[in-house]
Amino acid sequence: MESNTQQIALGLRQGDVVVLEALVEQYQYRLVRYLVYLLGRRDGVDDLVQETWLRVLERGGSYDGHSRFEPWLFRVARNIALDAIRKRPMFSLDSNEDDGVRPSPASNEPSPFTLAARTEDAVRLARSLQTLEPVYREVLVLRFQEDLSLQEISIVVGAPVSTVASRIYRGLATLRPQFKGETA
Amino acid sequence: MNTDHHESFQHMIDESLAGGISAEREQSLREHLDTCAPCQEYRSASNRVIAGLGGFSFEVDPTLNARVLVSLRLPAQQVQAAQPGRRRWALISLAAVLLTMGGSFVDLKFGSLIAAVFDIQRMQVRQGLLAFWIVPSLFVLLLFPLLPLLSKAGTRREEGTL
Repeated sequence: MESNTQQIALGLRQGDVVVLEALVEQYQYRLVRYLVYLLGRRDGVDDLVQETWLRVLERGGSYDGHSRFEPWLFRVARNIALDAIRKRPMFSLDSNEDDGVRPSPASNEPSPFTLAARTEDAVRLARSLQTLEPVYREVLVLRFQEDLSLQEISIVVGAPVSTVASRIYRGLATLRPQFKGETA
Repeated sequence: MNTDHHESFQHMIDESLAGGISAEREQSLREHLDTCAPCQEYRSASNRVIAGLGGFSFEVDPTLNARVLVSLRLPAQQVQAAQPGRRRWALISLAAVLLTMGGSFVDLKFGSLIAAVFDIQRMQVRQGLLAFWIVPSLFVLLLFPLLPLLSKAGTRREEGTL
């Protein structure tokens, strides 16, 4: 019996609309969330999501179905986002780590994290997340929301596993003071 | 207990949360946490950060899925059209088998009749059927199963250049 990932790979190679619908249904929210974490903004994300799915269909033949679909999908989304950053100054983002991702410019509008916070702890994290560099936000969402392994994250971000681990530690270290001196 | 000692255990907590640590180190960490309040607090704050990350719910435009699917429809059709399709290959192969068998059947059953009607030798009928019917059908039968493989190899070469 074919595994789920092999069915996805076959469906993408054949441009199977049923497979595409199922993928869009299953991953849409996660794609939006990943891109918001990466870019630190909500506007423009829908266009990038749309471009991502088009690229998924275009390059579907390069997904072999031997590994999980998520790292491949997020890698595609990341490339689309970086392309947008290069083409459109509104997304201008680079970081000190010199990998093409820089914090989003400050704005008077409430951050997407503030708008999306649904719990008291999330509200406390929202401000710090907005100022946290995208490369740290990105690994936090991939590790703790998407449950990707360090190796998988390393594939998505195109950095060594040790760098991914350091980014996770640093991301946690930046957000931890929000809960310092309190017990759960 | 000195600060370095706490730091090494706190680093272990980070490692444990980021990617997991060996059972042996996990045991050592657990034993340390049983007696160390600062490290307990460190782990508790880390766990709250992780739990807090799950407390966001981003609004997604309810029409986004539909818009995406509409934009994918045409490119998906193009991808499908570019596919040779196993079914098509199977039908062509079947047709070639039937044609080959049909040619042999005509030769066996009606070879003499055809020779008499056209006033030619039986061998000439057989050679004609072989040359213009059976051999071309066999050629198609043998060649077409190879075409999907050739097409796949071509697609892989194109993907390699992306």
